[in-house]
Amino acid sequence: MLTAALECEGLVKRYGSLLAVDGLKFSVTEGEAYGLLGPNGSGKSTTIEMVVGVLIPDSGTVRVHGHEMARHPLRAKRLVGYVPQEVALYPDLTGRENLRYFGRLFGLRGQRLRRRVAEVLDVVGLADRADERLGTYSGGMQRRVNIAAGLVHEPKVLVLDEPTVGVDPQSRNAILESVERLVAGGTTVLYTSHYMEEVERVCDRVGIIDRGRIIAEGRPEELMATLSPGGRAEVEVDGDVQAAGVAVAALPGVAVTVADHRPRLLLVTWTEGADRLPDVLQALNGVAAVVRTAAVRPSLEEVFLHLTGTSLRD
Amino acid sequence: MSRLAAVHVLSALVAANLRRQGRDRIGLFFMVILPFVIIVVVGLALGGHAGDGQRLRLGLVVEGAGSGELVARFAEHPELTVVRVAGVAELRRQIGQGSLVAGLVLPEGVGDGAVRLPFYLVDGSGEAAVVRNNVHAVLGRYGALAGAERMAGRLGASPAQVDLVVARTDPIFSDVRVVPGAETLRLGFAYTAPANLVLFTFINSAAVAGALVETRRLGISRRSLAAPVRPWVLLAGEVLSRYVIALLQALLVVVVTALLFGVEWGPPAGVLLVVAAFCLVSTGVAMLVGGLAGTGMQAAALGPPIGIVLGMLGGCMWPLLIVPPLLRDAGHVFPHAWAMDALLALPQRGLDGAMTPVAVLLAMGVAVTAVSLHLFRRSVLRTR
Repeated sequence: MLTAALECEGLVKRYGSLLAVDGLKFSVTEGEAYGLLGPNGSGKSTTIEMVVGVLIPDSGTVRVHGHEMARHPLRAKRLVGYVPQEVALYPDLTGRENLRYFGRLFGLRGQRLRRRVAEVLDVVGLADRADERLGTYSGGMQRRVNIAAGLVHEPKVLVLDEPTVGVDPQSRNAILESVERLVAGGTTVLYTSHYMEEVERVCDRVGIIDRGRIIAEGRPEELMATLSPGGRAEVEVDGDVQAAGVAVAALPGVAVTVADHRPRLLLVTWTEGADRLPDVLQALNGVAAVVRTAAVRPSLEEVFLHLTGTSLRD
Repeated sequence: MSRLAAVHVLSALVAANLRRQGRDRIGLFFMVILPFVIIVVVGLALGGHAGDGQRLRLGLVVEGAGSGELVARFAEHPELTVVRVAGVAELRRQIGQGSLVAGLVLPEGVGDGAVRLPFYLVDGSGEAAVVRNNVHAVLGRYGALAGAERMAGRLGASPAQVDLVVARTDPIFSDVRVVPGAETLRLGFAYTAPANLVLFTFINSAAVAGALVETRRLGISRRSLAAPVRPWVLLAGEVLSRYVIALLQALLVVVVTALLFGVEWGPPAGVLLVVAAFCLVSTGVAMLVGGLAGTGMQAAALGPPIGIVLGMLGGCMWPLLIVPPLLRDAGHVFPHAWAMDALLALPQRGLDGAMTPVAVLLAMGVAVTAVSLHLFRRSVLRTR
């Protein structure tokens, strides 16, 4: 039986007249990576801060491995590692000193503290720079120490709030690899981002959040399947593009458009059947020469656009 | 959360903050170098006295021969330090600038009989009045002995017999004691050391609030709230860190000036109590600035001007004894004046003389710290 590592029920948070989180509910099972995907201002960070106990919800409950955050905050917090969106570390201390500080906040000391600091420095690949001041690190390195600080006490649930914002692609990849290793090692992860490719890469399950509510939830492929139960393909033709379009559009259950920026490219969508591409190619036979075909996979970005009418990066 | 765990978290916070302070080179210059430069320069300019038991500096202008014995009588007076000065103009200049308390001119033939001795002093100076009394005492004894010597000669005593009798005659010196409640003007290091203790403890406390603002602004305080620690422990850790820094600054001034300049601070327990009370006020102000300032730079820039203005009003730039009563009363709205009252009273009157200022400082400290904690907590929770 799957055990719930994190449960949120009916979370509500208001800032004056602004309803930031509106009855939010989700749960994450032990060892699962759950992604909260939503644009800026959708309520992700507010939700995260209520989950880690920094912010007190107006109503609703957060439970970590059965410990209710409002009633037993110390027990619940001990099980959670928090990686905030900003690099919340002392720039005038070294990487190691920062990790020691956060380790001590969680009650580590002595040999265990030294061992854990060394281990998490290895996890984020910064053991060789550990004794340099944080202020001298690159932005990406600082973000890696930021993650290490959330890991130092060996939390059962790791909560990462947009951990890759503002970092270069190389550092971003290093961060994602670290998170993937943690997930593979059995750590429960709650991950927020407005980069759908990150959530797709790291998370087993995704909750799409908009205006403080979860509007869709499931495995990434399940969510994408809701957008188009059939399939999509790009077909590049040589010859009469208009005639080719008309021939394909004549197929039942198939729609076609010509790409704005590439006039010889047909975008073909079908709503039924696993694969209608052979039918499309047959319809084009004798009308136009087919140069290239490619199946197109819908993205979570499109799922979000479909569900909310706005883009993730609006 | 157990008490031991709370202490562990407190020590982690204090250690981190002290380490940060130790790495701030500009901050260290303001804490370790600048106070002593000012204490030395201003202390020397104000006469270089180290305590209230100091001998008062009497300038002597010796205009002719025959006054050697009288000069020796002045020199042996326990409350006077005799400084030979080249002429009357120089004597007036040194009295005017405060390096001499008063001056006496010994004209030609002073040892032969009755002459008038010009005495110079600043009108209204309590120290000059003490010197004048001592000078009168020395002159009276000198005149009496000279008269007795002449009379003994007329009666047929030999000079050796007269010298023997004179040698057996002990001089009588007044022993000036300050009555509790009275005020005396302290100068030299005895004044600049406590003045700069108060000034720099306050300024540096306000300045280190810059680090506190950064802690808040960078989200470290907020992140720390996610640890299994009661919020009041985190707040107490921030307060304790600033308090320790203020205490170190104050005790550094006390120890260094006592060892290097011989400053008399009074009973150690009393000094510790006064310093502890003033550090509480400084810490409260540091937390206040830490909660209100938007950036670390803002906080660091606020400290010196506020500290200097309050220092001026509170008697850290010049003694409150020399300012009009209205300004003196205005100064006592702020903690600096009370701290100066307490520190200046300790060497003369002990802890009894400092109890009222200490009580006021403690009340101010508790009030400011309570308000600042509330504001700081709010600012931490507000930052998003």
